[in-house]
Amino acid sequence: NKCLYEDVFSLHFEVVDLLNQAALIPTDEKLAVLKQEMIAFQTDKSIEVRKFVIGFIEEACKRDNELLLRLIANLNMLLRDESVNVVKKAILTLTQLYKVTLQWLVRSKAVSDMQEACWDMVTQMKGDVLALLDSENDGVRTHAIKFTESLIITLSPRTSDSDVPKRQEGDISLDKVPKDHLYIRYDTLCEEGKTALEKLLKFMVHPAISSINLTTALGSLATIARQRPMFMSEVVQAYETLHANLPPTLAKSQVSSVRKNLKLHLVAVLKHPCSLEFQGQISTLLLDLGMPQSEITRSTPAPREQRKRPRHEPYTEGKKIKIEPALIEDDEDKEEPAPITAPKPPAAPVAQSAIDLTAEFLHPLLTSENVANLVLISMVYLPDVMPASFQATYTPVESAGTDAQIKHLARLMATQMTAAGIGPGEEDEAGKEDGTGEDSGGKDLLIKRKLPAVMVGQAISVVGGYAEKPTTDAPAAAVKRLPEPILPSAQTKIAGASGRKKVFRLADVIQPLSDTQTENLTSKAVNRILHSEKAIAQSGMSHVRVKLLSRLVTQFEGMMKGDVLEFILDDIRTRSDLAFSLLYQEYNTYLSQLPAGLLDSYDHCLYTLLSGLQEKPEQRDGLFTKLVLEAPIITESALDVIRRYCEDESRVYLGMTTLKELIIKRPSRQFQYLHVLLDLSSHEKEKVRTTALAFLKRMYEKDQLRDYIEKFALNYMQLLVHPNPPSLLFGADKDTEVAAPWTEETVRQCLFLYLSLLPLNHRLVHELASVYTEAIADIKRSVLRAIEQPIRGMGMNSPELLLLVENCPKGAETLVTRCLHILTDKVPPSPELVERVRDLYHKRVPDVRFLIPVINGLEKNEVIQALPKLIKLNPIVVKEVFNRLLGTQHGEGASSVSPLTPGDLLIALHNIDSTKCDMKSIIKATNLCFGEKNVYTSEVLAVVMQQLMEQSPLPMLLMRTVIQSLTMYPRLGGFVMNILSRLIVKQVWKYPKVWEGFVKCCQRTKPQSYSVLLQLPPAQLTSVFERCPEMREPLLQHVHSFTPHQVRAVTSLAQSLSFHLGIFSDSASFCLFFCVTTSAKADQWPPPRGPPHAKEVMFLPGFVCLFVCLSVCLSVSVQHNSKSYGQILMKFCGLGPPTPDHHQNLIISSLSHFQQTLKISSKSVHNFLSYVAH
Amino acid sequence: MPSHPLRVAVVCSSNQNRSMEAHNILSKRGFDVRSFGTGSHVKLPGPAPDKPNVYDFKTTYEQMYNDLVRKDKELYTQNGILHMLDRNKRIKSKPERFQSCKDKFDLVITCEERVYDQVLEDLNSREQETLQPVHVINVDIQDNHEEATLGAFLICELCQCIQHTDDMENEIDELLQEFEDKSNRPFLHTVCFY
Repeated sequence: NKCLYEDVFSLHFEVVDLLNQAALIPTDEKLAVLKQEMIAFQTDKSIEVRKFVIGFIEEACKRDNELLLRLIANLNMLLRDESVNVVKKAILTLTQLYKVTLQWLVRSKAVSDMQEACWDMVTQMKGDVLALLDSENDGVRTHAIKFTESLIITLSPRTSDSDVPKRQEGDISLDKVPKDHLYIRYDTLCEEGKTALEKLLKFMVHPAISSINLTTALGSLATIARQRPMFMSEVVQAYETLHANLPPTLAKSQVSSVRKNLKLHLVAVLKHPCSLEFQGQISTLLLDLGMPQSEITRSTPAPREQRKRPRHEPYTEGKKIKIEPALIEDDEDKEEPAPITAPKPPAAPVAQSAIDLTAEFLHPLLTSENVANLVLISMVYLPDVMPASFQATYTPVESAGTDAQIKHLARLMATQMTAAGIGPGEEDEAGKEDGTGEDSGGKDLLIKRKLPAVMVGQAISVVGGYAEKPTTDAPAAAVKRLPEPILPSAQTKIAGASGRKKVFRLADVIQPLSDTQTENLTSKAVNRILHSEKAIAQSGMSHVRVKLLSRLVTQFEGMMKGDVLEFILDDIRTRSDLAFSLLYQEYNTYLSQLPAGLLDSYDHCLYTLLSGLQEKPEQRDGLFTKLVLEAPIITESALDVIRRYCEDESRVYLGMTTLKELIIKRPSRQFQYLHVLLDLSSHEKEKVRTTALAFLKRMYEKDQLRDYIEKFALNYMQLLVHPNPPSLLFGADKDTEVAAPWTEETVRQCLFLYLSLLPLNHRLVHELASVYTEAIADIKRSVLRAIEQPIRGMGMNSPELLLLVENCPKGAETLVTRCLHILTDKVPPSPELVERVRDLYHKRVPDVRFLIPVINGLEKNEVIQALPKLIKLNPIVVKEVFNRLLGTQHGEGASSVSPLTPGDLLIALHNIDSTKCDMKSIIKATNLCFGEKNVYTSEVLAVVMQQLMEQSPLPMLLMRTVIQSLTMYPRLGGFVMNILSRLIVKQVWKYPKVWEGFVKCCQRTKPQSYSVLLQLPPAQLTSVFERCPEMREPLLQHVHSFTPHQVRAVTSLAQSLSFHLGIFSDSASFCLFFCVTTSAKADQWPPPRGPPHAKEVMFLPGFVCLFVCLSVCLSVSVQHNSKSYGQILMKFCGLGPPTPDHHQNLIISSLSHFQQTLKISSKSVHNFLSYVAH
Repeated sequence: MPSHPLRVAVVCSSNQNRSMEAHNILSKRGFDVRSFGTGSHVKLPGPAPDKPNVYDFKTTYEQMYNDLVRKDKELYTQNGILHMLDRNKRIKSKPERFQSCKDKFDLVITCEERVYDQVLEDLNSREQETLQPVHVINVDIQDNHEEATLGAFLICELCQCIQHTDDMENEIDELLQEFEDKSNRPFLHTVCFY
């Protein structure tokens, strides 16, 4: 907005600037220049700017009339602007410019096409503005009224008794228009002026006129009456009519505002000298409006002065002539030749208005007796409640019974009667019209006007208006509603008047209608009410229409109902009130016919509405819900529609919310509704089903519904016991037992609800177990697949689940196992669960499969005990067991600590008693271990081999494992050689299987294994050669490849050693051994010198050499207690680089080994060590 | 919102209490507001009900103030008249008579029915020229300080609502009905033309 003001502000600057420039130029040019600059703004975005342009156009045209030719079209454009504020401003300007244009054109001597076109345009614009009297905008209408006022004054002649405001003295009026103008026709203008007045008068009696419009029109009429007294009669009549018929749409305060205005303007009119004739009427009105008589008198002009003037004024006569056709809504004016300039002789008393005539006719009839009768008759029609307008305006009648008052009363009645189109005055009119042939048109108009008045309940306001005088309202109402009571007046009229009319008797003119006609008319009538929706809505009486329709329709049978329902469904959003009203009415009818009444009609209505809503593509307004929840009864078929609504995937949520509301808010039938929802819980569409389940879960928490839901779920699950799925599952339409087999689908269908309740109520799990035991295998499988989610939801701490494990009904073992699996799939088993399972396993069902899920919760020895049974199971299961034990499950974060380390497991497998389990299974099991390379690393395997080797007796699969390890990790070669040598010490050949493996291993590891082979005693070496003859040759070659030195050195050493020790019973083998062990360094073998033994020993590679030397030295020194070998050892320790730790370790382990095998006393070892330490 | 700020006039009989209170509040809220009286004289309470202090419209608030201080400072302090005059003189120098003002307004709010009648009479007696509409609304307010304050707030709220309508003339009817219901008092309302 700020921006807007700035806009205007800057515009002002521009304009000021332009004006300053223009000051230097002569006026005419000035305008021309300005014009160009200004008009550029007429399409400016800002409303203010456009309004300013309009103001400029007005000023410019007033200053220089020629500009009209150019600018009138711009004004015309702005008259159609989208902003009402611009339109209003344009109307104001046109009000001024119309006069300006007329004046200019009338005076202008020169004739030009341009001018004529300009006049045409102005005329057309005038018509447009008059049409704006029907605008939807109140403000625009107000401006249009003011335009009309000004137009009427301009287009009627100014007379000597006209009030002329000073400012407007120079203004044009009809009397200044020459009759011989080329294109401006005096007659036409005169007609236009009158038409405008008619329009204004007609506008005023619109029943739904707004209070501001009414006020404006009242003011305009006062202005017209004073400036053009020739119209005073119409004005006063209009005031009278209005006073008696205040629009029913006005609020209380508006009524007082309007009355205040009426009073003000009446006084203004009264003050005008020409009001003399109407003084009676005006003062009666003013009295009614509560003005004290004294004040009225004060406002009344002295009669004498004016009496003369009007008499001599030709226009008064003209006026009189015009009065007569100028009825409230007469449009037959046009037939009148408007002889204003040719006045009729003054002696024409006949020429009175219809109201005058009727009033005169009524006056003598208003005797006390007649009035009393009228009052009695009209008592019947008094409204139950006193109307607000009556209450607001009632003033006691002070002058009751006086002649003036009776006259006034007659006049009031006449106004009403004329408005209703009856009475002698009106007939008189009609008589005249007959000749013109336009009678029908006039009548139609009357009917048109009356129809809405009746429909919107104007009759009531009429009574209200009249009720100021209790004697008056009665006849008025009677006249309006029942023509019969005024029959006597018609008779009287015949006596006195033309006699053209005969006595009217209703019975003479009516004939009974045939049934079809009646029906036809009824339905047409209903249809009319039905389709007058908009018109009635505008008058604010929709509720009456709705009530009327619903009553009518429920009372009559036949097509009507369907029509109305169809009509409602066409646009149910806006017609919902009618829908509800109709529904309630139907229900009401049903109630009133109890107990014999049938719900059929109500049912049909509800069903049609609901299914109509259901079939409509989409609405988000919750009308369906509203209808369901507000319907007094939900019938079976309605429930079906609700069900269908719920089955629609796009609306399932809304549908079920509605259903839920029903269940909660209608406790008397809640189970019926609940049943629908329950049914939907096994619906084939997933969305429907899941939504239903979600709703049911919430409802399950309510105590009163709980049992029912539970029972339903259990019953449904119970169906699984049947050998074939019952027909129930295939929809209600097929009720024969269907022999189809169970499918995954049908099984699930029975379980959906149950399974969603399960996590809420763990107790239910036992029911599942019992059904499970009875069900056939197919179903069992499906059940096992379906329960994963809910069981996981229950968790392993659920006491009910633990109870189930504990009890484990017969036949439900697989179920229990499945549960266990689901529970321990991702999380380690809880101690309670392990306890239950262990219990079950030991005491009741010794099925090892139970243990698998909880295996990581068991003790080490328990696992080892179970191992033989476990590895006999299905390979897949075994794999799973191992996965659990080795922690290689897929589930992340399964930080369950296995009771067995991988090493333990492999060792345990080796130690399985072969009587308990066949070797094949064990081998398969070990293979599974070797499969897990990540777990069984070389280190793990080394430890395993080490431990296995130390066992006694040796496990049967030892060598298999050794070979396998070697295959997996070739770098274990050295370690394996060590194992092999140690096996020799353990006399491996005593275990046939192991021995076999030993040889195989040697075979695979040649030539590395030669040194080992050479350690074998001759018999065993022979046995090796027998088993694998191909080994003999390479071994020999190996030995032969020794250098002579080597051989000698070895031999001598061996001899001396064996001599001393006697441990190598076969010197040759020792010799060989020595040769082999030294072979790697054969090339560098130095010639033996000094004490050869030690020196040569120093060069022997590897710990084998060290081992041998040490053992030799040790045994010698121990056995012979000789210091010389000890010295050798010493030397060995002192020579060379500092011995690394692992050498020392080896020494120590060798020592302990020797201590055992050679049965050396620990004391000797101790001695040796201390010796070494020295 | 109408495109220009509303030109508002608040009218009571003496242009002292009710109209000035509303003038004060409305101008603080940024309205283009003026205030007037319609009486033939400016009357202020005197020592007794039948002895009012009467001034003509040419007397400034300042002069009235000094006059009353001189007459009975304590009395006029106690009944709040001095305080009121003190406020008034800070708003404008002297009271104005509605009938003498030829400026144009969009909205005239009167504070009692008699004033409303006088305003209507005046507006209707003027010669019509531009035909620009002016809406006249009567809000009944009793002539005392408390009611004046309450009434001023009501007037202010009313003006704000009217100022905020898109199309004042089209909506004012309904708006007033709402206000009637809300404030539980009737408003007289009419339209006149300049």
